[in-house]
Amino acid sequence: MKPKPVSFEQLAGISACLALALVAHLKALPVWVLVTVAVSGGIRLLLAHRGRAAPPSAVRLVTAVLAVALLFVQFRTFNGLTAGTALLALMAGLKLLETDAQRDIYVLTLIIYFVSLSALLEGDSFWLLAYLIGVCWLTTATLLRLTSTLPAPDWRRSLRYAGRILSQALPLALVFWLFFPRFAGPLWHIPDDGSTAESGLSDTMSPGDITELALSDEIAFRVRFATAPPPPQERYWRGPVMHHFDGHTWKRAKSTSMIASALQPQGPAYRYTLSLEPHQHNWIFALDWPSHWDLPRGALTGDYTLVQPDPVSRPIDVAATSYTRVQSSEPLNARLRQWDTRLPPDRNPRTTQLAHTLRGEHPDEMDYVRAVLNLFTQQEFYYTLTPPKLADDSVDKFLFDTKRGFCEHYASAFAILMRAAGIPARVVTGYQGGTLNRYADYWIVRQSDAHAWNEVWIEGRGWLRVDPTSAIAPGRVEHGMNDAVSADEPLGSRWHRRTPWLADVRLRLDALRQIWRERILLFDQDSQQKVLEWLNIPEPDGQKLVMVLTAALTLVLVWLTWAVRREIAPARKEPLIRAYSRLCAKLAALGMPRLAHEGAEDYAARVAQSRPDLGPAVTALCRHYSILRYAAAPARISVGQFDAAVRAFRPVPNHVK
Amino acid sequence: MNTLRRAASNKLRAWAVRRNGRDSLPTKILRRRIYLMPTRFGFMLGLILIAMLIAGLNYNSNLGLAFAFLMASVAFVTMHHCNRILLGLQVDATTEVDAFAGGEASFEFVLSNESNVDRRDVEIRCMTAAGMRSVPARSSESVSVAVPVPRRGVVRIDQFELRTRYPFGWFFAWTYLQGSLTAYVAPAPRGNRTLPALGGSGFQSPSEIRGDEDFAGLRAYEPGVPLKHMAWKVLARGGEAAVRSYTSLAAQPEWLEWSSLEGQDAESRLSQLCLWVLESEAAQRVFGLRIPGTEIPPARGAAHRFACLRALATYAVAGPA
Repeated sequence: MKPKPVSFEQLAGISACLALALVAHLKALPVWVLVTVAVSGGIRLLLAHRGRAAPPSAVRLVTAVLAVALLFVQFRTFNGLTAGTALLALMAGLKLLETDAQRDIYVLTLIIYFVSLSALLEGDSFWLLAYLIGVCWLTTATLLRLTSTLPAPDWRRSLRYAGRILSQALPLALVFWLFFPRFAGPLWHIPDDGSTAESGLSDTMSPGDITELALSDEIAFRVRFATAPPPPQERYWRGPVMHHFDGHTWKRAKSTSMIASALQPQGPAYRYTLSLEPHQHNWIFALDWPSHWDLPRGALTGDYTLVQPDPVSRPIDVAATSYTRVQSSEPLNARLRQWDTRLPPDRNPRTTQLAHTLRGEHPDEMDYVRAVLNLFTQQEFYYTLTPPKLADDSVDKFLFDTKRGFCEHYASAFAILMRAAGIPARVVTGYQGGTLNRYADYWIVRQSDAHAWNEVWIEGRGWLRVDPTSAIAPGRVEHGMNDAVSADEPLGSRWHRRTPWLADVRLRLDALRQIWRERILLFDQDSQQKVLEWLNIPEPDGQKLVMVLTAALTLVLVWLTWAVRREIAPARKEPLIRAYSRLCAKLAALGMPRLAHEGAEDYAARVAQSRPDLGPAVTALCRHYSILRYAAAPARISVGQFDAAVRAFRPVPNHVK
Repeated sequence: MNTLRRAASNKLRAWAVRRNGRDSLPTKILRRRIYLMPTRFGFMLGLILIAMLIAGLNYNSNLGLAFAFLMASVAFVTMHHCNRILLGLQVDATTEVDAFAGGEASFEFVLSNESNVDRRDVEIRCMTAAGMRSVPARSSESVSVAVPVPRRGVVRIDQFELRTRYPFGWFFAWTYLQGSLTAYVAPAPRGNRTLPALGGSGFQSPSEIRGDEDFAGLRAYEPGVPLKHMAWKVLARGGEAAVRSYTSLAAQPEWLEWSSLEGQDAESRLSQLCLWVLESEAAQRVFGLRIPGTEIPPARGAAHRFACLRALATYAVAGPA
């Protein structure tokens, strides 16, 4: 079979589909790949428009080798989502360049399907799914027009037919999706191509870091409490804990060998489920002091941050239990004590001096802590999102000169004042507070809730949480950022925060998003088990799942067969012809079937001849039929009346008479 | 690879014959005799679908899986739609056709679609030849399939095939129909002898040897009669279509004889006779044909010509049952 050449229209159609599929990858793909695809598609379309064939194979080969080499130089691998997608996109672009026969376009449609899928692998939005199904619909309609040997149906009908097939496929796809067994982990390791940016808190803290986060409305995580939620002043979500200070920046401890020592919980336990958004770090923002969690490879660090070995690169749900107040009877680990009392030498001398003076006045550790907090409230310290920039010896400058800062400034200054007085202290970063979504009863914690506070070691009592920010701006802790900053701060210009109904709409949308996330994105083995339980299947397991899958597939396939075949049942006759056929059948039952060539009136004449008693009735009915059917004369009765008359006509068999 | 495919196809054909028996035309295509296979493109799609599934599972992506399952389901549905193109289609065919050796036997098929859906891209294959047609909803279409016939004789086709790749070309559905079609292949009209005319004067144009004074009456119209011989006046009066019949010198019966072609082999003689039949018919002559075993009495007209050609086609071959 010789290959069928492609037309300009076909090329344009498939190029448009490819472009639409690549739109979903705009952010991830390197610009030069997109440009290459666009240019090669453009060249090919231009050539086709002038009725010319594809460029010679040497040109194509050189382009292909160059492009793939360049790709490899950039990514060092073809494994991984971004690199793989880039390779696919390049292949599609180059395939477009060499497309001469329809066979090439078939290959292109397959690439488009796969490119669409790859956008979904790490995507999570409903709209993305809807968009890509739309792209696949369009591609399939294009394919329909391509593969028709005889003149293809027009665009509208092609789209309708492809849409019909898609809609008939939906029930089958749903059954597959619900019951196809899910695996707990990946089949093989997915290389991390590092294309996804880290977000939220990092493992260092410099002045200004959290201020930046405070401006972001992005959601960090959502929490649904199984118990009553803790009061606002105890809603601290622990992230990375900072120990090492170089005078400007706080750093997290790299060593993970330290084991968290046992704690004696005080106060109520809080049980909750954390729906974490991916942030590309390995910590999980549990409520203050976590004691239990259902994370298979989760563990606590020596400073009680819940961590897992791999970064959180996909949305995950973690059920956990925490306490907000604890005590420790064990002495402080020597290494921790050493870390948490160390200060960079020769930095911030005025602060050190102040610490020594104050400590002299307050020999009791708790008294000293209170004295430092009093310092913040009594002097003119301000809580602001726009603090002045600080150079070397930033803490000295902040404490004695500018006195304006955000939570990280206060936490940093407080820790140094403690350490300088010999009290072990560290900076805890994380989130504080959250907004209740009253429509769905869960809490939303945004990046703007990012916070930094301190923990100090009190002998005989253990680690104690101290939040110096609450001393300066108690509203920050009680009601969140909006109440803590004045209206002329950057946050004050957020008009949507000041419009109640808009905030309301946002909450409702977020509730929907949470449903989408819980029901669809995080659908897994457990959810399948719940579906089976809902179906009243006792002791659900993998084998039963496969059995349910098979049964459901059988049902749907039977339905599908019926639905598809139903349409090819012989067309129903129109009511008039049905009524006439009924009349003929009644007469045939008397032994006078209508002959194939006989018209209605000839038939009536013949009937009248052999059964004079039926003559007038049959003649009248047949006359009506002729008039209704051929409109030879103005009709005096309607089709419905004719049908009724035929039904009323009950000829008596001859022998009864 | 190709031989393997051909062998499999032959096995399937033979099996289809055993399973379905002979068909009497017209026949309706039933479900159990429609076969379906992915095309090469369909196999490629299958590979892509498997890759999509693995990717979705590996990334634990429910949206990816949803998309992969949707595409797989689309393929499933397409299978049904492809099968449906042939299902319930009624097939009829002209069972006997005439042809000349070296030419093509053109079989006429009629596909009737009583349903409300269009049946697109239905292909009919007879041996190596094929014809394609779309049959819109509630209508019939005819398809002619020109089968090349290189040699004189009777070509019998016991099986023909209906197939379609619609929609998308991922699958093709096909069915074998065991209807017998016969092509009578007359010898190629060829030869250098002139038409044996009365008195041996060679070929003469009919106008030279016919005049109006030879009018001998009317006879019933038959297709193929020159328009100028139509009895228009009779037709205009409302009578049956009739043809004026002439008795002229040329109308004297003339025999096309096998025995007059001494010294040639059988096929050459048949070719020459075939040429003569066509020439005589074109010249409106009354002629008879005599070949060993067959004698066709003098007559003329299309039916007569077909009888003669068929006699030449079937000479010394096993006749139709």
